[in-house]
Amino acid sequence: MSELVAFKCQKCGHVMYPKHQRCLNCRGREFAALPVSGECTLLTFSEVRNLPWGIDERARILGVVEFAEGFRAMGWVQAAEAEVGMKLEAAQEPVRTIRGEQVRGLVLRPVS
Amino acid sequence: MRQVAILGAGMIPFGRRDEDSLVDMLSYASLAAIDDAGVGDRPIDAVYVGNMAAGLFNHQSSVASALVDRINLLPAAADSVENGPASGGSALKNGILAVASGYYDLVLVAAGEKMRDVIGPVATDVVATMTHPLAEYIYGATLPSMAAMFARLYMEKYGVTPKHLAQVAIKNQENGLLNPYAHIHMKITLEGILTSPHSVVNNPIVADPLRLYDCCPVSDGAAACLLCPADMVANVAADADKPRVVVAGFGQATDTHTLQERQDPTDLKAVTLAAQQAFERAKLTPQDIDVAELHDAFTILEIAESEHAGFFDKGEGAKALEEGQTRIGGKLPINPSGGLKARGHPVGATGVAQVVELVWQLRGDAGERQVKGAEKGFSINFGGFGNNVVAFVLRRES
Repeated sequence: MSELVAFKCQKCGHVMYPKHQRCLNCRGREFAALPVSGECTLLTFSEVRNLPWGIDERARILGVVEFAEGFRAMGWVQAAEAEVGMKLEAAQEPVRTIRGEQVRGLVLRPVS
Repeated sequence: MRQVAILGAGMIPFGRRDEDSLVDMLSYASLAAIDDAGVGDRPIDAVYVGNMAAGLFNHQSSVASALVDRINLLPAAADSVENGPASGGSALKNGILAVASGYYDLVLVAAGEKMRDVIGPVATDVVATMTHPLAEYIYGATLPSMAAMFARLYMEKYGVTPKHLAQVAIKNQENGLLNPYAHIHMKITLEGILTSPHSVVNNPIVADPLRLYDCCPVSDGAAACLLCPADMVANVAADADKPRVVVAGFGQATDTHTLQERQDPTDLKAVTLAAQQAFERAKLTPQDIDVAELHDAFTILEIAESEHAGFFDKGEGAKALEEGQTRIGGKLPINPSGGLKARGHPVGATGVAQVVELVWQLRGDAGERQVKGAEKGFSINFGGFGNNVVAFVLRRES
């Protein structure tokens, strides 16, 4: 299990990430935390060469993945080369320092 | 609801304006609109100022209060309106509602952004603050990277090629050559930006598949419109015989904050809904439109918006572009101003700058880039990455 938690609507079962106070599908307000396995598939990506101030790297691959639990999320793809459809594994790791604080997020690596 | 006329339109040349502050630029554009309207020193009831991020770019807040003081519109009601890159469109929408409702008669809408006070990577970061703080921003998501991930999906699904993207850039920079208000005055060629061995140097990758010339520049600029009820034009304008442009309709719609939460991430639903609302209000269809200003912050967006707004079927926008239908002189000229690509994209200013261009086009005042006989115009101001979109339909009254 990754540390990633998604949110399952108790009324309609729709799984969401990030958190909403009302379900995007049925406007329900009750959610259960859903631990996520971490297995996912890359849907789209971009190698970003002009990164914003505060990220001291030449380039970074960002991608959107679909999880087995049926929701999608953005993350930092750490692979030599990315390809749409590739299987990835998600882990929660430091992704950026914002105002002096290390922030954790999804790091996505090819399934070993 | 009262019919609203755009009595005056004003703008300053976009670009890098080191000598001018944000409020300087808003003042010049506002006075140009007031003078164009010919209302002299007549009191203005209310002012709406579109701006995205003066707090972050220029360390200034309460911009509307600063503007009414600077150009002495006191004691007019004054509000700043922030809606990301659609701040200008939202400010204009608020001004239109204020006049249409009957509460105010003379309303000034000004919109501007001064982005070049900060260095490039900081500007990239400021603009990226509109992304989701936990699900996008933390990864270093930038607006070009969002557009790139969208482009990869859209290109695959609809057969849009890098050549099509380059054709948008070439067309809009050609149009920009004819626009004295445009930031970029430079002709580019397919060889220079795509097919020659030098193109990788001339046109480096920003966020693949998007290259430098797929992205709008970072600009300073401001634009303004003066609104009044259509039936009052003869009473307030010095030249009542000037062609009169009215707001036929507007629409606005939102979508999920993140791109990935949309059922189909290639579907710009907020563009479709905003355009449909605007056309319904105007009692017109996309086929009635003579000229359009679309939000080409990235080349892929001009193609995608031209389809989502209803001008072409899905997958046909690139074909229409290739056939020259969207050039000046084509069936539906898109971005005769040069669009965001060449005019520039001072984020908060764009929605009003698009409408100023349409007003000039519909009056026949657009000079060398004039779309002949244009009577009905349309614009899309695309906020977030498509999560808050404002559309306008304008009409010249005969």
